[in-house]
Amino acid sequence: MDSFTAITIAVFLPFVLAGILPAVEKVLKDKIGWYASAVALLSLLLIAQAAPEVIHGETIQKSIQWLPSLGINFSFYIDGLSVMFGFIVSGIGVIIMSYSNGYMSKKEDLPRYYQQLLFFMGSMLGMVFSANMIQLFIFWELTSITSFMLIGYWRNRPMSVYGATKSLLITAAGGLFMLAGFLVLNAITGTFDIPTIMNNESIRELLHGHELFLITLILIFIGAASKSAQGPFYIWLPNAMEAPTPVSAFLHSATMVKAGIYLIARIHPIFSGTDAWFIMVSGVGIFTMLLAGFLAFRQTDIKGILAYSTISQLAYLMTMYGYTTHHEPGIGVAAATFHLLNHATFKACLFLVAGIVAHETATRDITKMGGLRKEMPITFIIASIGALSMAGIPPLNGFLSKEMFYEASVEMGHLLGGPYSILIPALAVLGGVFTFAYSIKLIDGIFLGKRPSKGLPDHIHDPSMVMLAPAIFLVFLIILFGVVPSIPVHNFIEPTVSGILLEEAHLHVKLWHGITPPFIMTIVTFAVGILTYTKYGKIAEWQNRFNARFPWISVNYYYDATVENAKDVTSKFSNRMQPGPIKTYITALLLLVIILFTVPAVLLAPTLIPSDLNFDIPAYEVIIYLFMIIAALGAAVLRKYLPAVIALSGLGYLVGLLFIYLQAPDLALTQVLVETLATIIFLLAIARIPQKFREHIPSKTLARDILISVAVSSVIFIMLINATQGIIPPFESVSHYFIEKSLPLAGGHNIVNVILVDFRGYDTLGEIAVISLAGFGVYNLVNSRGEDE
Amino acid sequence: MTTLITKTITKICLPLVILFSISLLLAGHNNPGGGFIGGVMFASIIALTYVAYGLDHIRSFFDPDWTNWFGLGLFLAAATAFVSMAFSYNFFRSAFGFVHIPLFGEVELASAAVFDVGVYLVVIGGLLSIFTNVGDDK
Repeated sequence: MDSFTAITIAVFLPFVLAGILPAVEKVLKDKIGWYASAVALLSLLLIAQAAPEVIHGETIQKSIQWLPSLGINFSFYIDGLSVMFGFIVSGIGVIIMSYSNGYMSKKEDLPRYYQQLLFFMGSMLGMVFSANMIQLFIFWELTSITSFMLIGYWRNRPMSVYGATKSLLITAAGGLFMLAGFLVLNAITGTFDIPTIMNNESIRELLHGHELFLITLILIFIGAASKSAQGPFYIWLPNAMEAPTPVSAFLHSATMVKAGIYLIARIHPIFSGTDAWFIMVSGVGIFTMLLAGFLAFRQTDIKGILAYSTISQLAYLMTMYGYTTHHEPGIGVAAATFHLLNHATFKACLFLVAGIVAHETATRDITKMGGLRKEMPITFIIASIGALSMAGIPPLNGFLSKEMFYEASVEMGHLLGGPYSILIPALAVLGGVFTFAYSIKLIDGIFLGKRPSKGLPDHIHDPSMVMLAPAIFLVFLIILFGVVPSIPVHNFIEPTVSGILLEEAHLHVKLWHGITPPFIMTIVTFAVGILTYTKYGKIAEWQNRFNARFPWISVNYYYDATVENAKDVTSKFSNRMQPGPIKTYITALLLLVIILFTVPAVLLAPTLIPSDLNFDIPAYEVIIYLFMIIAALGAAVLRKYLPAVIALSGLGYLVGLLFIYLQAPDLALTQVLVETLATIIFLLAIARIPQKFREHIPSKTLARDILISVAVSSVIFIMLINATQGIIPPFESVSHYFIEKSLPLAGGHNIVNVILVDFRGYDTLGEIAVISLAGFGVYNLVNSRGEDE
Repeated sequence: MTTLITKTITKICLPLVILFSISLLLAGHNNPGGGFIGGVMFASIIALTYVAYGLDHIRSFFDPDWTNWFGLGLFLAAATAFVSMAFSYNFFRSAFGFVHIPLFGEVELASAAVFDVGVYLVVIGGLLSIFTNVGDDK
């Protein structure tokens, strides 16, 4: 199997197998989690098949035509970056889905849970391998939607609903900004294909000199920042912690939130090397890194601490990818890529521990915990290694990438010169200090110290191997990557970095570098970090006091106010626009018809009523017309529902008859059938309501209604009279094309049908989707009415 | 409406109309007909049966979930749109060919016909699920 096929299957397999998951569940019952893990493992193996070529420095791209006329193709680009993300997504996927077997109670709605996890995994894989921007956007929004459903997994908890809505509003809206950015980028470069722009020097120069460059960058960056919870958009991530813990570990620490980072890495070759890139990406990164690291202190929920820590760690990555100058486009790329991989391992591990602790103690409040090391020795060791890696303690992998971060910061500061040579490394160290402090808090708060006398269950113990083994595997990776860095560096980091920098990359990562500036910065971090930890409680108290005193200094305050206000405005709007009685809508619709038809008719037609009208109508047609007029009058005048409805359907049948005389059998057939069905449904509905018009119509309303009807029918009459004269000059008849091409292109003699199912098949697909939605709509309408009673 | 005459006529018409609706569906590519008309015809006769014999009575021995029908129909229609992509053609590209079958002679096979079957199922499912919902007394 070639790599392209392997990747295509790896992306679509989760969707297909998730589709049949409810059927499989009937057989496997509560073992269904293992089926989901097996699917993830299959995807992982398929990606692994494509890996060797990429490690040797090749890139593969292949496209399938989708909408070629718009430049939108279905296209996969397989390079170091996408394969590394593919491994992270499917690998963590296997781990999380296996772990879920122990975590999720058998009483939960398991098929929905695993189905959505698999949908998410497929979307995420599709996104990282996308070469076409529109395709990337579609998968991108799919991850937002699946994330929304997973955060809101417990539908009855108000906070889950709040968190899910918040995440969807922010990330999906950010995605729309990104789409706008892609469209501008397409307008400048003329292509939606990312590798084409990446590998073409002249297109990049054109873009860098273009006046819309900054707008494009800002739009795409908003998309990335909202997804990765950077800058003011960070507020959705802490609320997303309402999701089941494995979901938080998978989506909101290891994969989905890294989509923004992925996007930044993906467009790095296109936009880097400019001041705007450095100021925006690194600027927002440094700001978020410090703010989120600092705000982690006042969190008492262990998942809350991890959420803020994730925001801060993602900001590290942003900062590093942002380090750029005109001559050195990617100073922090290697460090960022390595840290990205490491963060996925240690943060997922910590989330799994958080899940274990919450599962065993039935609380997530860190203030109620302590001294659990004796009761949960294995969990204690796992948590310590994960947290120490995050804090940057050697010989764990977090230490290596943090050293690289410091090194890149020193270099960036040095290249900028002046005060920056001190400022940037100092800010980096400050970020490290916060990380160190809250990492230690996690270990100390949960496992060390004294066990509180009340609030915890009496018997707490390590969980089963189902939940421990995934975490132990991650710990193994943490140590392996730390002690033998050449394994990840050679297999993942070098191909990725060379893909981003567009040149061969050779990295030498070692545990011991000698006494270098980064090493000194690490020592300073530990020293200040320990000092800060001694004041941890005081800082948290100060933050709480500050928050209570100045509630308006917070993004959440403005988010809540905006959403509340929007609810208010929209409900007013819909009350005004949808008052209820169908008459209002019909009136509005008819008035619109008058305007829409009158204006073009007056503008285009030379005379409103053509002079040479042909009134040579056969007698039998005249008779039909007379009957039609009688039926129409009957429908309008009859005072009882049943005769009125029958008059109306009589009119419909007469129209059908007319179609036969006018030689339109398809139309006649459709008309008669639809009329029959509509009449039956109509009769069923009116059988339940009083059989007389009880409403008294004032003469004023009557006059107005008659006026509108007369106006509409005159307008339609004039339009039809004109239409029968043939096509008005600026337009051409469209029917010639279909008459000529129907047989050779689609092999059908019935042009109407060929247009419906072939030439305009996409429209028909939309129409039948509407029919299905109408079916659901009626179902909801009829059944919700029942609930109110 | 549930007179003996209605019931008898419905009983006779039911198989004929269903066959006719299928023939409309299949003939649609070259003669008057097609998925939409065929679907409406199928839905009408089932609706007539419901009316003549009563919804509850029919349901006691024949109660398909019509929502599944339009689900399947939508899937079929969308699938034909995507299948062309698997053969490296663009989205919604249609194909047709002629095969010779004994007794029938030359028969045209078109991918658009599968799409039309999708339309047929959606129309039947959509209309009848609306019908049963509105007509349900509960």
